[in-house]
Amino acid sequence: MLKIENLSARVAGKDILNGIDLCINAGEVHAIMGPNGSGKSTLAQVLAGREDYEVTGGRITFEGQDLLAMKPEDRARAGLFLGFQYPVEIPGVNNVYLLKAALNAKRKAAGLPEVDAYEFLALIKQKMKFMEMSEAFLTRGVNEGFSGGEKKRNEILQMLVLEPKLAILDETDSGLDIDALKIVSKGVNSLRDARRAVVLVTHYQRLLDYIVPDHVHVLSGGRILKSGDKSLALELEQRGYDWVKASRVA
Amino acid sequence: MSATPAALAAFAAQWRARTVDALHPWREQAMQRFLRLGLPGTRDESWRYTNLRRLAAVDFVTPVEELPGTAPAGLELPAGSPPEALRIDLVNGYPQPASLPKLPGLTLRSLRDQTRDDAADLSARLGAPSDSEQQRVALLNAALFVDGLHAIIDGSLDVPLLLVHHTRGPTPNTSAHPRLLIEAASGSRATIIEWHVDTGVGGTLCNSAAQIALAPGAQLEHYRIFSAGPAATNIDSLEIRLAANSHCKQFTVALGGALLRTNLEAHLDGAGAELENFSLLVGSGARHVDCLNIAAHHAPHTQSRQTARAIASDTSRVIFNSKVIVDAGAAHAESQQSSRGLLLSAGAEIDTRPQLEIHTDEVKCAHGATTGRLDPNMLFYMLSRGIDRATAQSLLVYAFLADVLTGMSSRETRAAVEAQLISQLPDSELLREFR
Repeated sequence: MLKIENLSARVAGKDILNGIDLCINAGEVHAIMGPNGSGKSTLAQVLAGREDYEVTGGRITFEGQDLLAMKPEDRARAGLFLGFQYPVEIPGVNNVYLLKAALNAKRKAAGLPEVDAYEFLALIKQKMKFMEMSEAFLTRGVNEGFSGGEKKRNEILQMLVLEPKLAILDETDSGLDIDALKIVSKGVNSLRDARRAVVLVTHYQRLLDYIVPDHVHVLSGGRILKSGDKSLALELEQRGYDWVKASRVA
Repeated sequence: MSATPAALAAFAAQWRARTVDALHPWREQAMQRFLRLGLPGTRDESWRYTNLRRLAAVDFVTPVEELPGTAPAGLELPAGSPPEALRIDLVNGYPQPASLPKLPGLTLRSLRDQTRDDAADLSARLGAPSDSEQQRVALLNAALFVDGLHAIIDGSLDVPLLLVHHTRGPTPNTSAHPRLLIEAASGSRATIIEWHVDTGVGGTLCNSAAQIALAPGAQLEHYRIFSAGPAATNIDSLEIRLAANSHCKQFTVALGGALLRTNLEAHLDGAGAELENFSLLVGSGARHVDCLNIAAHHAPHTQSRQTARAIASDTSRVIFNSKVIVDAGAAHAESQQSSRGLLLSAGAEIDTRPQLEIHTDEVKCAHGATTGRLDPNMLFYMLSRGIDRATAQSLLVYAFLADVLTGMSSRETRAAVEAQLISQLPDSELLREFR
């Protein structure tokens, strides 16, 4: 589904990614872990098409298409979704409008008619219930006045409505209490199937107790230093990232 | 200004040519002062951003009165204007229909009739012509207005009063000077919308002036909306006097014209008076919008809040000056000034200048002014959800104005302003479904 080859990228004149290779197949869940400043969020933003992140080398194919040649909105319509580490507040733009516009943009790209307003509201309400979100969400501006946990839940709600092929969740677990973590995990797990893939960017092994990954990668210094199965995450939890860096040098 | 600009000579000629009416002594005082001061220029502090050179060269003429009863059919209602409102058209200041409607709690009279019938009473109500620099063009209005409306509100009005100002004439050098006098009696409540359009030939000058007086406890929501055509000039002078515990919510909405200058001078005269002022200033094309709002606190426990949102695209320029004055006698006054500007193109310019002049210690005054471009984080968030750039930008622009739009208590008026606004924003057709 997604193939990243020798990707390097620069932010504000500084090289952050230095040759990433990663292959993600449909049906898989990948966890990308790594210390602060290792390039995890940069990778997520580059995949979503953030323009002020300069790709300096390599290539990415998504479903056979050259992802780097696609505009951010086209990537989204093609089925790529980024769950933001820090979802922005957009006062004055209603949550529901945003989501409806997003869904319709995707449907239009797929040659489908616009979603019926009543059906859409019913769908939203159903997903909100599943994500245990308050009705206040319907009338508020995008993420306006939401707590950190509510914002993350909103990201997952958007994901559930948009049903992406590839979801990249950037530290969706940070700032969540244990109950919210369970709800968010439930949301992600509900989307898991053989046609989709999920990339979890996280600092902590804890999330992986709830969303069990097929592959775990350690990112450091803008490179993937080590890949393994879920046991790698447990090992990292016990031994820290220095152990990976040390073994790499050795 | 140079020796004798054509416009000044033309206004002097208009003054000499007019029929002397019972307000003549009052008018003469204003005209003499205006002629002595001349047209405002960039040397004048409150006019430094607005150059009237182009206007100064115009040989302005007074439009002839259109026959009552013939005009309204040809008068367009501004798109989306509130259907339920009690509508009066003022054609170059002349009220239409000539026989003004009556509503419980509302008395309407033509200023011309009142000048004829009781000039002494009227000149007392109008007061001495203002001396202040920023009200200079109001002096010209005082001298030259031929008609206008006097509204007395002494009850609770269920529907808004919609006053549509039409400036029209056979030639672009037409100038009109409509005048309004609005008196809100103690305990009254009303919504008044002044809507400026130009019909017929473009390029006209409308130099309007309104005086609003709120008696103790009166509540008024006042709108002045400018949506004249792309060649029009509007200069509007608004004076609001607030007695004790009165409350005025005032909206200034700039959506049209080539050159628009709005003055607001609000005097919080009585203890506990409150002014909420909202300015929504949209610059597009080569439009020049210059908005000056002054809130003067003269009494204790008075409050003023000013919220301004300015957008400028293309090569337009928007200026927002606000000034709060707190007199020595206005202890415990509170004021807030929030002005934000959004630049949508490299050729556009926004100037904001919040000012404070405080003569007592016991006050709470806050102000903030920012100007910037669309937030790239917000934009990327929307793009990452599959929303195209044009729609995302339009939504963000719209959202930027939300603080003013949500302040509008009159839902109908808000809808009307939104309808006009949407047609002004880039890629605005994309926004319709989001309303």
